[in-house]
Amino acid sequence: MAQSQDNTHEPVAGRAPLIVGGYDFRSLTEAVAEPVERKTPIGWWLFFLPSLAMLGLFGVSIGWLFWEGTGIWGLNNPVNWGFAIVNFVFWVGIGHAGTLISAILFLFRQKWRTSINRAAEAMTIFAVMCALVFPGIHVGRVWVAYWMFPLPNQMDMWPNFRSPLIWDVFAVSIYGTVSLMFWYVGLIPDLATIRDRAKTRIRQIVYGVFALGWRGSHRNWLHYERAYLMLAGLATPLVLSVHSVVSMDFATAQLPGWHTTIFPPYFVAGAIFSGFAMVMTLMLICRVVFKMEDIITMRHLENMAKIMLLTGCMVGYAYGIEMFIAWYSGNPYEQFAFANRALGPYAWAYWIMVSCNVITPQLFWIKKMRNHIGWLFISSILINIGMWFERFVIVTSSLHRDFLPANWDYYQATFWDFASLIGSFGLFFTMFCLFARFLPLVATAEVKTVLPEADPHQGEELVRVVRGGGDGEAVPQAAPAGGGGA
Amino acid sequence: MGLMQLDVPEASGGYRHYGVLARFRTAKELYRACEAVRDAGYSKWDALTPFPVHGLEKAMGLKPSKLPFVVLATGLGGAGLGFGLQSWVHIMAYPLVISGKPLFTWPAFVPVTFELGVLGAALGAVLGMFAFNKLPTYHHPLFRSPNFARVTDDGLFIAIEAWDPKYDDEDTAEFLSGLGAAEVEHVPIEDPADDGDGGGGA
Amino acid sequence: MAHGPRIVDLDRLVIRPGSGWARLPLVAGGVGALFTVVSIVLARSSPEDAKQFFHSWLVAVVFFLCIGLGSLFFVLIHHATKAGWGVVVRRLAENLACAVPLMAVLFVPVVALGMYDLFHWTHADAVADDRLLQVKEPWLNETGFWLRTAIYFAVWSGLALYYRSASRRQDESGDEALSRRMARFSPVGVFLFAVTLSFAGFDWLMSLEPHWYSTMFGVYFFAGTVISAFAALTVLTLSLDFTGHFRGVITGEHLHDLGKLLFAFTVFWAYIAFSQFFLIWYANIPEETNWFLSRLHGTDLNPADWRPATMLLAIGHFAVPFFFLMPRTIKRNRVLLLIGALWMLAMHLWDVFWLVMPNLHREMTFSLLDLTSLLGVGGLFIAMVSWLMGRGALLPTRDPRLVESLAFENI
Repeated sequence: MAQSQDNTHEPVAGRAPLIVGGYDFRSLTEAVAEPVERKTPIGWWLFFLPSLAMLGLFGVSIGWLFWEGTGIWGLNNPVNWGFAIVNFVFWVGIGHAGTLISAILFLFRQKWRTSINRAAEAMTIFAVMCALVFPGIHVGRVWVAYWMFPLPNQMDMWPNFRSPLIWDVFAVSIYGTVSLMFWYVGLIPDLATIRDRAKTRIRQIVYGVFALGWRGSHRNWLHYERAYLMLAGLATPLVLSVHSVVSMDFATAQLPGWHTTIFPPYFVAGAIFSGFAMVMTLMLICRVVFKMEDIITMRHLENMAKIMLLTGCMVGYAYGIEMFIAWYSGNPYEQFAFANRALGPYAWAYWIMVSCNVITPQLFWIKKMRNHIGWLFISSILINIGMWFERFVIVTSSLHRDFLPANWDYYQATFWDFASLIGSFGLFFTMFCLFARFLPLVATAEVKTVLPEADPHQGEELVRVVRGGGDGEAVPQAAPAGGGGA
Repeated sequence: MGLMQLDVPEASGGYRHYGVLARFRTAKELYRACEAVRDAGYSKWDALTPFPVHGLEKAMGLKPSKLPFVVLATGLGGAGLGFGLQSWVHIMAYPLVISGKPLFTWPAFVPVTFELGVLGAALGAVLGMFAFNKLPTYHHPLFRSPNFARVTDDGLFIAIEAWDPKYDDEDTAEFLSGLGAAEVEHVPIEDPADDGDGGGGA
Repeated sequence: MAHGPRIVDLDRLVIRPGSGWARLPLVAGGVGALFTVVSIVLARSSPEDAKQFFHSWLVAVVFFLCIGLGSLFFVLIHHATKAGWGVVVRRLAENLACAVPLMAVLFVPVVALGMYDLFHWTHADAVADDRLLQVKEPWLNETGFWLRTAIYFAVWSGLALYYRSASRRQDESGDEALSRRMARFSPVGVFLFAVTLSFAGFDWLMSLEPHWYSTMFGVYFFAGTVISAFAALTVLTLSLDFTGHFRGVITGEHLHDLGKLLFAFTVFWAYIAFSQFFLIWYANIPEETNWFLSRLHGTDLNPADWRPATMLLAIGHFAVPFFFLMPRTIKRNRVLLLIGALWMLAMHLWDVFWLVMPNLHREMTFSLLDLTSLLGVGGLFIAMVSWLMGRGALLPTRDPRLVESLAFENI
């Protein structure tokens, strides 16, 4: 690990290698497939069992909620929406990094994504699962939760399609579905790899069934790559729309602090920000546990840190613009809402949010901090805390001061609020542990394409730059090495 | 799509072999070999690789995928269905004035219309790709070659099928060796020991 | 395939003396100067015409300024991401960006004279009666306005001039350290750019209607800016290609990328524009809906008629280019892509017109001054850009990633 080649310095001429450690196709397959094939290590249980316990807590908290009703939460009259919506928005946000990495970075030809996209996509699906639990359980009368869907019924009733909450149902469930398809399409060639390496009949059949008989035909790759490209093109506006729709839960209202036009892009930027922080946390653990430091290299971590810096600045921009426009508007309600946010009873939450989300990533301006594993880990956790608090601040600080001062109250979370938050992490980590145990963590077929020998024109001169006439003297130029950014 | 293995059984009466399978060492060699096979006039053949080799369709002379048209159609279909459903619900099936807005409030229908459009297009892309590629196809003669397991690891193959008009057991094999193949073998078309192999692997 | 490398002769990649491009600075400059004078003469005939002139001039200057600013953004992002593909068009973007100082010269005197006609908040009597304007006075006052305007132009001009000159110095020396330095500074540049651009949007366009506010407005302004820049860059690149100055340089791959970016930002603009409209429409708060109402049908007390303009914006700025630019064959076809890019330029002009003009007219109205101002500012803009293009190579000849850019292929 210490002798790993440093690929974080992008040379001006040519490109730094994306993965190091001298892999060829075969050893790469080996490195990725090995964790799926070996005996379950003790370390895995150390992660899995606590996660399972937390998942159990989730089950208990939901069971108790169904039995008792939403009174077990700390909701009160002005604050009718508490942890349930905060957790929902938080988890949907986490889910955005996966699609960003697999779709948007794909469209921008950022090939470094290949080492992390599989895990990030899996993470997306699990985060969306966590998110979808909350609208399902927080409706109060859970036994009629299916009313959210447009199902013909004997009462001849239909959902109100002008309600942002219905848009949520469509946006998040479709986002989950499309993410799942995207992930599965990407998995097919790798499932075929595990199938072809299988030592037992059961493994061969199970992985074989899901690999669909994939045999790497280029006539298949042709359609496959086109489908993947189009899924990426579709997932990109989809990912923007999903958090925009979530933001509209708030922004279509007339409540100061909720109703502001910048919410859609601001929520999207925040979602990507928190999602990258979560990918960072998971990748820092996985690359050590599965000994993949040469595949998920420092360069990958540094690039993620840069994106966190960018999106952190975008979020900071939105905080600033919101404050400025609240003042500029001259609207006393707007001005009160934002002054109260920064100085009122929830000021502590506001300043946690600002220091975690805006100040923490600023250290990433410094290359040394972008390459410091410990700081990357700490900051990724801090950013996730900050992003959870961002949603908390938006929800509670806008609600707790109603237009009528007689209604003012303070929202205090109960044990069961925390139990559902912690429990949702249990669901997330349980799923991720299962994924890391049974499926290849890295998109093997895609990573192979960033190896130099995958280029059919390796070492060929495609363009020659000359000066003065057709056969003038060639100007020395850097060779166009493969594997760079867009 | 001339060369789909599912056409094989009917067409294959009298063929001893599925065809010739040749392995190449590098992507570059494979690319050159594909150009040569294309230029030699073969039509029922394929390249099989562990990862998509960039631009190989040009070397093989394949036409671009028609998938985009499917996706456009299913996408517009999904969006149209979404918009239609919402308009119908709010104008005819369950008209209700909400927040003082007219019954036909098209801006409010945009989010769901968009989402259903994307769902339609994504389903079109995935299911269309499965259909074009005839997935799942659990049985294929190539899986009978013990070497072929490398196709999902590091093996870069070309397979020329026996029912190609230019095919000849000996000449085609020689032709492929001449292109620099590391191994060349004949793949049997039927395997008496093989049936009910759900896993499809070697 | 195996035909050997494509040969690109750097010495031929300059404006050839005697070509139309070489005469363009003089011709366009003449046209620009002439129409500027015509506009001023027309403006002097009556106070109404003067008012019209200030608005028309603001539309024209903001439109061409957007092209320069978006190009500056492209240059900054190109360095920040250490991109390879776009090196061949980066010099053109650098030249476009260096038109920003000229736009400052065209903006400042005219807007200074027209302050009273353009900005309602400069009317002392109106402020005396209007509590909202009093509250906003710390921001909306003339000293602050000009101070901020000076900062915006200083930041943009500084960035534009630095990036062009550093890149030209590299043509001479081939020094790789220059690439590194440009890349290192670019994230800071992007940050400065984002902040100044948003506030310029607030000051120059949003404050035309001083009661109205929208947190999204800066992003909206940004989206249009980037579209106009990619459209202009595409038009410029293709014009050079058609006149034989870019032979062998521009491939379908570059056009495809430019087309994709144009398409992507068209969708992004639609997303931002729709979100802004939608949230205001949905919440239906009078302070906010007023701005959109004066671009639609107005209110009973204060009717307006800009509906056709808004419809054209929705259809022409989004629906048409969305389907037109979607197919890959169009993005790789020189003529069709040129049509698409020209269309988007026209639509961006319409967008700026739509932002400014309802401030002056309650009904959609065109004036001869709209045309003369556009020709005046546009002529001077083209003269400036073509003059810059004539000085030195048309692409960064010794950029270390030039060969990568020339040879690159899409996914």
